[in-house]
Amino acid sequence: MNITRKKNIIKTSHKKSGNIATFLMLSPAILFLLVCSIYPFLWIFRYIASDYNGFTANFTGTRNLVRMLNDSTFWGSVLHTFEYAFYKLIFIIPLSLLMAVLLNQKIKGTVLFRGIYFMPTIISTAIAGMIFGFIFATQNGILNSVLMAMNIIDSPIKWLSSQSIVMASITILAIWGGLGNYMLYFLTGINGINEDVYESAKIDGANAIQTFFRVTLPMLSPVMKVILMLAITGAFKDYEAIMVLTNGGPGNRSNVMFLYIYRLIFGSSGGTSQAQIGYGALLSVVAALIVGIVTAIYLYVSRKLDDVV
Amino acid sequence: MKRKRLFSLLLALVLTLGLTACGENQTSEEQGATNQKSGEATTEEITTIEVWTQDRHDSEYVQAKIEEYNETNTDGILISLNVVTDDYENMLALAYAGGTAPDIASTPVALNTFADTGMIIPLNEYIDSDETYQKVNAPYKNAYEGLNSKDGNIYYVYSGMRSGVRVQYNKTLLEEAGYTEIPEKLEDYIEMAKDITVKGSGETFGIGFTSSSPFERLLEMSAQVSGVYYYDYVNGRYDFSGYKDILELGQRFISEDIAYPDQQGVDNMRALFAQGEFALWSNASQEAGVFTSQIPITDFEWGVGTVPSLTGEVNGALQTNPSKAYAIFSSSEHKDKAWKVIQYFQSEEFIKGYLEEGYSLPITQYMDGVIDKTKIGRLADFSLLEYESVYPTPPTVNLTGDNYRILLWNAVMGHIGIDEAIEDLNKRYNDALDADVASGAVKRLVISDYDPLNPSEGTATYLTE
Repeated sequence: MNITRKKNIIKTSHKKSGNIATFLMLSPAILFLLVCSIYPFLWIFRYIASDYNGFTANFTGTRNLVRMLNDSTFWGSVLHTFEYAFYKLIFIIPLSLLMAVLLNQKIKGTVLFRGIYFMPTIISTAIAGMIFGFIFATQNGILNSVLMAMNIIDSPIKWLSSQSIVMASITILAIWGGLGNYMLYFLTGINGINEDVYESAKIDGANAIQTFFRVTLPMLSPVMKVILMLAITGAFKDYEAIMVLTNGGPGNRSNVMFLYIYRLIFGSSGGTSQAQIGYGALLSVVAALIVGIVTAIYLYVSRKLDDVV
Repeated sequence: MKRKRLFSLLLALVLTLGLTACGENQTSEEQGATNQKSGEATTEEITTIEVWTQDRHDSEYVQAKIEEYNETNTDGILISLNVVTDDYENMLALAYAGGTAPDIASTPVALNTFADTGMIIPLNEYIDSDETYQKVNAPYKNAYEGLNSKDGNIYYVYSGMRSGVRVQYNKTLLEEAGYTEIPEKLEDYIEMAKDITVKGSGETFGIGFTSSSPFERLLEMSAQVSGVYYYDYVNGRYDFSGYKDILELGQRFISEDIAYPDQQGVDNMRALFAQGEFALWSNASQEAGVFTSQIPITDFEWGVGTVPSLTGEVNGALQTNPSKAYAIFSSSEHKDKAWKVIQYFQSEEFIKGYLEEGYSLPITQYMDGVIDKTKIGRLADFSLLEYESVYPTPPTVNLTGDNYRILLWNAVMGHIGIDEAIEDLNKRYNDALDADVASGAVKRLVISDYDPLNPSEGTATYLTE
């Protein structure tokens, strides 16, 4: 009886010291999380009902909310964000999957090509925006020169100054910048598929296309779910390269919601308007809600992807 | 197992202590630095006056003059210059909030944030006690409502001026199209640009616009000299109605394919102008330095003309940008010595050298007479015009949506109708103004005796409703 009690006491004390050790081990990470992530997030809420220019804050009650509801530029930018995200996703996901499958073959030079396709990912988005500015230039741009030399077009295309074309231009830049990244995710997913499955498919007489659609794609489902989620949230948050390439123009046609919020928070060269951190904070919360809702809908719709394997 | 737990505990302790120690070290280092700084001041009786500036372009001259002053002054002052080019105003405000603001902030800072919050102090008493300073800098003549002065208080005094917008033109392209000078009427200016584009046969163009604030660099200035401004000073309201004629004419640049097809960044467009891709470019006096040293024009002669107006007559002042001013922070413990430093920075000798190096144009008649103009090169072409002035700063509002420069340029580009744009701007700007006045965030500026040719000379009153 006494021995059992002693054992229990020893167990409890071990458990307690284990808990303390766990807490102490976690404390630096928790501290950083609180200071660097939770506090800034809560800080946003401090100003959503104020006019705050970085120096003085005036409480304005529901004014920011009313402004937000009537702000046609903001809602226009939300629509542009959905449009941009749609174009980006329908091209970048199939393309990166195709590249991953092709570069997963045991052929010479695949490592080199993986490196080449991944390279845009490590280039600064601002620099990429500037480079594409030169590529897309109407008069002396490389792209128009090449297309005209190949007799594909007769006159230069206004890649950046035409409202009907600019969305295609920023989508091309987004695909160029993100393709390598998603390709790498898919390659990792493909490498995780057991070779035995391919061998048995081969024995069963499946050709390359059948193997891709019946084996690779279903086996990639869980990875695909995560990649799609990252791609959706990423596409909704893109704005840096767009800011450098078009600055939201022409005529706000490429103005996405985070670019508009950025301009509000840091002020613009209007002279008569100022940095609007309070209103920008409210729009940030709304934008985060929009991205959150889209992601939640996606997760609900795609919940079956987990059950494939 | 026991050893493993003990190891985990020790590791956690080391990590936590390490973090705390890092924080403590930093604090003690900072304290050390502060002690050292104050120690220097007291033991050697030398006061360090810290000056922050945003200007890097003139730092060679300014630094050399500061070294000269530090070696020769008998007031026990050591000037320490800190160049902060990024996010200047926020950095100053953060430093002020953290108790580490400099004694002096060089280059203008916004009054609605720095003066209204008491971060910088009025300099009137100092100015009044120094007649030489007044002779050289004409502080009361160059006091601009809302810009460097408010309610009679002068917060900083300008010692330089950037000219208003001028037209820079490629003489060769103009001559080839049969023109020798810049027309005074906007319509004729557009016709000339069109002629050059047509004769250029798709190789060269009449005019080029940048993507960076394109409306501001020609059409807004044409409107100003035509007597059109976006703020109705007499009634204290925003009013964009006057821009209609200018916008209708401006649309021709785009709808008739007169302008260079792309609007790229400023430096890209400057480079294209320097290559002779288009004939007309418009910007202020900084282009003197740009086209002589940064992107030198060597293949053709370039001239400088004035911006055209609607009728060819000048009915309003052209906006200029005063520069190079110095404010004293209210947190400075050495305000009198800070003023001595400002006296040096704005002395005749200092400004003369600065202007002759071509960093800026003189703002006072006195300095204009003192400098050797043969030394300033192409900057002489940008000398101030009789009708150049500084507009009182309209109230800064919390605007919803695009500002007027973006929207009016969208109207020029044909992305939005002119009437729609004007109506939208009138509504959004005045809604924002009314709401901000009601909340007490700004005051309504009214100048009942406002004269568009002398905008800075009226009597400003600030209304709370």
